Amino acid sequence: MPPKIETRFGRIRVERRVGYGRLYSISMTLLSLALAFLVVALILTSLGLDPIKAFQVIFGVFTKPSLLLESIKQSIPICLAALGLGIAFKMNFWNIGAEGQIYMGMIASTGIVLLHEYYGFFYEWMVMPLMFLTSFLLGGAWCLIPGALKARLGVNEILPTLMLNYVAILIVDFLVHGPWRDPKGYGFPLSIPFPEYAKLNIVLGDPAYTGLLLSILGAAAAFFLLEYTRPGFEIKVVGQSPAVARYAGIHVRSTILLGSFLAGGLAGIGGLSIVSGIIGRLRPGASPGYGYTAIIVAALAGLNPWVIVAVSIFFGGLITAGGALQMSMGIPKAAAQMIQAVIFLMILVGEFIKRYKVTIERPRVDEE
Amino acid sequence: MIEWIESVLGLTIQVGTVYLLASLGEIYAERSGVLNLGLEGIMVMGAALSFIFTLAYGHLAAILISVIAGILMSLILAVMAVYMRLNQTVTGLALTMLGLGLSGFLASPEVRKVILLALNPSLPESLLAIQEAPKLPEIHVPLLSGLPIIGCFFRQNVLVYVSYIAAPLMWFILFKTRPGLSLRSVGENPAAADAMGIDVFRVRCLATMISGGFAGLAGAYLFLGFQPFWQEGLTAGKGFIALSLVILSTWNPLRAILGAYLFGGVEVIQYRLQLFGLGALSPYLLAMLPYLAAIAALVAVSIESVRKRIGVPASLGIPYSREE
Repeated sequence: MPPKIETRFGRIRVERRVGYGRLYSISMTLLSLALAFLVVALILTSLGLDPIKAFQVIFGVFTKPSLLLESIKQSIPICLAALGLGIAFKMNFWNIGAEGQIYMGMIASTGIVLLHEYYGFFYEWMVMPLMFLTSFLLGGAWCLIPGALKARLGVNEILPTLMLNYVAILIVDFLVHGPWRDPKGYGFPLSIPFPEYAKLNIVLGDPAYTGLLLSILGAAAAFFLLEYTRPGFEIKVVGQSPAVARYAGIHVRSTILLGSFLAGGLAGIGGLSIVSGIIGRLRPGASPGYGYTAIIVAALAGLNPWVIVAVSIFFGGLITAGGALQMSMGIPKAAAQMIQAVIFLMILVGEFIKRYKVTIERPRVDEE
Repeated sequence: MIEWIESVLGLTIQVGTVYLLASLGEIYAERSGVLNLGLEGIMVMGAALSFIFTLAYGHLAAILISVIAGILMSLILAVMAVYMRLNQTVTGLALTMLGLGLSGFLASPEVRKVILLALNPSLPESLLAIQEAPKLPEIHVPLLSGLPIIGCFFRQNVLVYVSYIAAPLMWFILFKTRPGLSLRSVGENPAAADAMGIDVFRVRCLATMISGGFAGLAGAYLFLGFQPFWQEGLTAGKGFIALSLVILSTWNPLRAILGAYLFGGVEVIQYRLQLFGLGALSPYLLAMLPYLAAIAALVAVSIESVRKRIGVPASLGIPYSREE
């Protein structure tokens, strides 16, 4: 029996929709995006700010080549982290810790650069591959902690992943205020600037291009893993039903460990893209919440790796627009974060409208 | 020595009250089967609003507005997670993001000025730009506040006293009254509760609103009673720590008192260690203590839960629908 809510105007019925087309699904997502911007417009108007001008600035980001490049640059860590989250969420592993895993990736890449700069540990050509390797390993290890707690002890992963975000951020704070502080940095909490060989500008000299390539490669890898390999298949089965997975002879524990490691590793490479692509050094607060934005991106993209690449560029644009809004209209930077959250909420409401049909039955007169 | 104990204990109570207020409401939500992961966002909104409204209208209005805002925000969660049956984790997280973004936006100097002038046009220019607000005054209970050591329990602000009364009262309502029984049965077995004639949706909606109200109050207390200068995201994960605390207290308001002061104590130890020689160890490493303690608590409880099957609300996190 579907739930009914009696109101004065009639009876609200909520029924499950039996299957819907892709076109319907996409149009509903677009509708919820439009609704989100309507809500944002209402908030801005009520504070006496001009929403139309604000939206012109936001969408103007995608028309100016320089700002579009900046948006793509901003989208790289979001995209890589969201690709990892796509794997984790498919496994029903609620990793809210991409932010911390990004920070661990930044630590690993900076560590390699410092090792080479201070002690000359490696050949120069080895530095970049080592940065990739270690940031993947450290990000993965950071996610492996809650993964192992879940697999071994049955601890729900939501809160541990969240807590480890704060811990990772504090480790970065400790490092740049202490042992990793640039001796020539006038006491500011910054690492030394990365030398050219440790920067993501192999393709066409701009980190945006290399980053976009990285995002696409990451999406291809995630897509291949989930669609064409045995571990990917096992990850999906565990996500749908651990009981079925066990019955099918899948080792659920090791699947959880593998899935969480891969998810964290991708976010770790996202961290690399920040220090060696966007900023060029390590500093406190180097990620303004890319790992949280990645959750919205993964949800909005329906966990599809290819869609994640496109959606993260949109959100990279929103973050870029945050700076532009501050400069041109004096709207504080937190506005970008607020807009993201409103979009997130509206997309969730859109999911509901997709899945259920809401009808209002008017009471007939002869019943009265 | 006694002075030192008193100062540590007094500070422990002050920090612990943040956790206690937040977890009391959350216990109700989770007992009814709803995980309110929006706690962090509601708390930070409560802090931001109490900042703005204290400057405009004073403490009482600020606290009331924070509670009302908390209830309204949790109503969003209730509608989405209870009535629309959307995933509670994702919805709660979205609410936390909304709280963090909106609070940072509203309390930023530019927007705050506009709001303050709209609320109270007669405010002096000097109040429009400051980052702090007057702290809640301490109220000394006659006689009791003069006692050695435990006297510090009675030299606190009004919201601490509210928490002293609320914890046992909420325990009593939850375990000894009919509405409390209904609430617990909805969290344990919603289908059976439904068959008994309890409106599962309404109970869950109300419980979520209670958690929102208390989270708003906790945010107001955090700002007005403990740390009355604004910075973006000043809750710094305290809402999430409160969520771990709810699990540690096994969804029992009385045990939440102990847990809250335990976590308050961990934070105070961190401040104290900084004063001693261990401060050289870097404040950033010490600041990790509360988060690591929260993880340790979660692990400890889960090990125990395997052994003794402590009372996890059986339908926690599962949306109820009559169809299935």
